[in-house]
Amino acid sequence: MNLRMIGCSHKDAQLDVRQQLAFNPTQTLEALGFWQARFPDDELALLATCNRVELYAAGSADPRELVDALLDYRHVSTRQVEAHLMSLADTDVVRHLYRVTSSLESMVVGEPQILAQVKQAYQFAQEVGSTGPMLHDLFQSALRTARRIAGETDLHKHRVSIPSVAISDLASCVFESFDNKHVLVMGAGEMAEETLRYLRDAGKPQIHVINRDAERGNRLAERWSGQYHEWPELWDQLVEADLAISTTSASEPVVTSEEFDRRVSPYRHQRPLFVLDLAVPRDFDPAVGEALGVYLYSLDDLAEACKNNQAARAAELPKAEKIVAQETSRFLADASHRATAPVISGLRQELERPKKAELERLFQKLPNLDESGRREIEQFADRLVNKMLHPPMESLRDASQNGTPHGLLDALRRLFKLED
Amino acid sequence: MDSGINMLCFSGSYVIALGLELSGLWTQVRLRRPMLLVAGGAGLVAHTWYLGRRIAEMPAAPLANQQDWYVLAAWALAIIYYSLKFYYPRSATGMFLLPAVLGLIGASLLVSTAPLSNSQGPRIWIQMHGIFLMLGTVVVLFGFLAGLMYLTQSYRLKHKLPTRSRFQLPSLEWLERVNSRSLGAATFLVGGGFFTGVLGRLAQEGDQNFVPWTDPVVVALAAMLLWLVVAEAFRLVYPAARQGRKVAYLTLAAFVFLILVLAAVTLEDSLHVGPELSENRDSIPRDPFPSLLGTAICQPADGGPR
Repeated sequence: MNLRMIGCSHKDAQLDVRQQLAFNPTQTLEALGFWQARFPDDELALLATCNRVELYAAGSADPRELVDALLDYRHVSTRQVEAHLMSLADTDVVRHLYRVTSSLESMVVGEPQILAQVKQAYQFAQEVGSTGPMLHDLFQSALRTARRIAGETDLHKHRVSIPSVAISDLASCVFESFDNKHVLVMGAGEMAEETLRYLRDAGKPQIHVINRDAERGNRLAERWSGQYHEWPELWDQLVEADLAISTTSASEPVVTSEEFDRRVSPYRHQRPLFVLDLAVPRDFDPAVGEALGVYLYSLDDLAEACKNNQAARAAELPKAEKIVAQETSRFLADASHRATAPVISGLRQELERPKKAELERLFQKLPNLDESGRREIEQFADRLVNKMLHPPMESLRDASQNGTPHGLLDALRRLFKLED
Repeated sequence: MDSGINMLCFSGSYVIALGLELSGLWTQVRLRRPMLLVAGGAGLVAHTWYLGRRIAEMPAAPLANQQDWYVLAAWALAIIYYSLKFYYPRSATGMFLLPAVLGLIGASLLVSTAPLSNSQGPRIWIQMHGIFLMLGTVVVLFGFLAGLMYLTQSYRLKHKLPTRSRFQLPSLEWLERVNSRSLGAATFLVGGGFFTGVLGRLAQEGDQNFVPWTDPVVVALAAMLLWLVVAEAFRLVYPAARQGRKVAYLTLAAFVFLILVLAAVTLEDSLHVGPELSENRDSIPRDPFPSLLGTAICQPADGGPR
């Protein structure tokens, strides 16, 4: 089979290591072209996401050479990343790619983006022309496995990251759609940005950013095509908001219950306000959540929801692992069949040729043989060939249970002088 | 013409659908959704067939008697339930709507199967009166159930209870919209029902062309209409009543008035039955499965009102 994978992921390498090996789409296409020239007989595909960089190869390239090729392109010395790199072969490569595509290897198990990323990695390889039949089968079966897991288990139904739970599980209980909703982002924290990403996936909200540091606030607003407001506009913005995401680094609550009751509540007329307080310490006084129409969720509340979903998801993992095991066996059996089929067919042809020649010679010597006699002799010859083929075929089938039996195939080729 | 379909058929289907809805609270039943669609769909088909047969038997059906009227209202609510199964496939709306559907069917067994009074006035007013009030009833009921769902969902969110469990509800925004619109629609429909009833009465010939304003049914319906008009005006004038829990409370109150009206119609109705039947209403046989006797009851042999 000769499958190889070298690379690193969030499991073995910290962000700084992964950053050194990061590839954007342009670099991926360029690198594949470059490596194709270096390994002309090999099939290659590169999966590069923010959590993993993995080079898949099918062919005769030595894993050491593949590592060198990967590191050379990024100008990283082996010493720097060696401890974080992993190298897999054959069955392990198949199982690993299936697990990656099904998000079982993801930081957030069950996240859906990885499927599209694997698909794109294969499309890049096709674009460059660095792929071939082996990687085609491997990637197609990986996508099939991921789809089976998505369809046959509830793994993807339980979200576990805080922003995804906040938007998909909670905010969607308040809002029918996020289109044109007034979203107020207080502070310019990372969590706010991640939450905005989920919000944008879910609809087209109007984003308003309010931050003490005007430069950072403006930058965030620009990135999300939103509008920046000066800090003193906080209360007016809270009156207008449908959803508020707060991630400031203030050491005291920014929105106290008294101020909210005085400056916001009377003007909202109990219109629902969903507040995600993602700051530590809290930006909203917990008493604000008691106001009519206000649904206040702190980081702790969301973490609790995530924990519940994690437990529900864990119950689905064995089913997903079972599907991965089934599909891996299926791929190996198919691969083995592909490898042994030419030898089996060659063997049969090698025995069929002398059988036909001997039958012809015999029938010429016995010209008075009637039709039923000829049929009997032909059947005798067929049975003899089949019986002679049976033991090597059985040995081949038994040996194929654990992958392609390269040694046995080679021996059969040499013994029977089979041509490739 | 008798196809053997009676109330038991569609009630049974709705009970199975409700059982499947409730089973989702405790256990994950394989193929639950397709089974729900089949059970609900079967109920709806049988229900429609039943009403169709009633119309074929009697031109005045399905508003020929109080029982038909309730069965028709249940059918309209069942259609709403079935539509929601496609719009909100995972939500537990059936747990709220199906008991109401079954409640209306159950109530139909308690009410009179005597023909509603044969007005001497224009038939159009009578028909419009019946249709307006039936639709008004359905809208008030649906608004009430949406209000209940709103309060349940709001409570869960306020108290940080799990929302992705097996008991999912539509979003607050959608429920609020349904509440709000149902209040407006109910005001229009009940108002329409009330005024067509008054006009139908005034258009009658003989000594019936007056409105008995002190009749319990008229009083209850007028009170309900008054409440709906005030609630709708309150909702339009006062911004806080347009959203959130207040609009849900308004629909809950409208439901209380609806119950009063239905109670008055069931217990004290002298307006909708002919005089001779009104005097003997207790002696009128009540048939739980009118398909068996429906024709006989709705077409009295003595040539009485139909």
